[in-house]
Amino acid sequence: MPEPVLRVEGIAKSYGRHAILRDVSFTVEPGVLVGIVGENGAGKSTLLRILAGDLQPNSGRVWRRGALGYCPQEVVLNEALTVAQHLEYFRAAYRLPDLGRAGELLALLGYERYRHTLVSALSGGTRQKLNLTLALLHAPEVLLLDEPYQGFDWETYLRFWELAAALRAQGRAVLVISHLLFDQQRFDQLYQLNDGRLAPLAAAVDERQVS
Amino acid sequence: MAMHWWTRYWTAARFMLIEQARNRLALLLLVLFVPAWYALIGGLVDNTPLAFRFRATGAFIQVNGHQLTLLSMGINAITLIVGFMLFSATRKNTRFDRRLIRCGYPQLMLILARLTALVAVAVAVSLYASVVLLAFWRPPHWPAIWLGFGCATVIYGGIGLLLGVLVRGELEGFFLIIMLSLVDSFLQNPYGNPVANKDFIKWFPTFGPTQVVVAGGFTDMMPWRYVALSLAWLVGTALLGLAIFTWKTRARRVQALPLRGTSPLASPPPAV
Repeated sequence: MPEPVLRVEGIAKSYGRHAILRDVSFTVEPGVLVGIVGENGAGKSTLLRILAGDLQPNSGRVWRRGALGYCPQEVVLNEALTVAQHLEYFRAAYRLPDLGRAGELLALLGYERYRHTLVSALSGGTRQKLNLTLALLHAPEVLLLDEPYQGFDWETYLRFWELAAALRAQGRAVLVISHLLFDQQRFDQLYQLNDGRLAPLAAAVDERQVS
Repeated sequence: MAMHWWTRYWTAARFMLIEQARNRLALLLLVLFVPAWYALIGGLVDNTPLAFRFRATGAFIQVNGHQLTLLSMGINAITLIVGFMLFSATRKNTRFDRRLIRCGYPQLMLILARLTALVAVAVAVSLYASVVLLAFWRPPHWPAIWLGFGCATVIYGGIGLLLGVLVRGELEGFFLIIMLSLVDSFLQNPYGNPVANKDFIKWFPTFGPTQVVVAGGFTDMMPWRYVALSLAWLVGTALLGLAIFTWKTRARRVQALPLRGTSPLASPPPAV
């Protein structure tokens, strides 16, 4: 078994007396697609923010290897800039030599024609595509996606899975969290976050065996 | 991959300037409000001579009430606009800036770019307001008027930046800037205002800029002390604002450690 790119051990997080995460542990290997499902308020986004280094846990540890890509649930863009200007901005952030990968992602997600459109004029779905693109520009080893296909139409939703499969084939680890996971057979590992505790989701295994 | 710091600085500065140029409400305010404010309030105030305490010499000088009010209105209009522009841009983009920093953008480059945008906006807005002033009055030392207006705009740019990281709501921030700018600029003008020449006025932000524009409009000297005082205001407000920005956009853990290493990527704070 290859060495994991992400190892999470005993993560706990609480706000005051309210426990959000309790003793969460798991590992993610390269080339694996992991899904974490949970109801609203189950602690999914908190877990992802801790994995991304955006939030400090009360206890527990996270190890990560390689570059990280993080697509937050809430679209974080600049309304006054165009799609192309966002790409250039993040190219400078990631120190990329060119924007070749960006062109591929725009084509794959089908929003090339909006390259020179202001973000303020984009639909919610297209904003979400750009939000996702910015997390993928630098071909990260570990990709954390928080409700990544929210607002996508069916066509884009399918394109997203093509993209996820391609990333997995390249040996990237992809972790998707969502309150609803359709297409559970697409995941290599599935977990459920319930009341702050993470447990393997048996149903998915059954579904995979059936498919 | 090496990327020159200048490229990253200039990329951020360019986009922050583009962002300012796309603030249509601010541009509309600038184009319409500045001449309207000169015409409206200037038209209401006659040429009554006023005693103005010119702090560079400590003496009272006699100034034309109409002309002094034009200067006060100019300061009021431009401080309001620049304060709003910087407040709006800073407030809207703190999360976006944090995302850039988490993706590797150096915090320092974003801070320098924000300051560059502030100074560029202040220079352009103060130039416009001092040129429009010429349609109403030809002051003897026009460059000093521009300099005084420039001092006022950089101060309110700094205040806008500070409020942008402190105040959550757009309306609250805008209201604070309007009130501060109105009270500040009106208190400096002795027209119908008995407290204008009192000592406590010097603690208000546009005290220095008002002294500079009065020097340009009614004297033959340049009170550099008050230019320096204005810059001190900019440094104070901007530093405080940028310190809060730095704290808000800090990445808690940015380094990716090797898996077999002994140090974890994230761990609880040490017990105290």
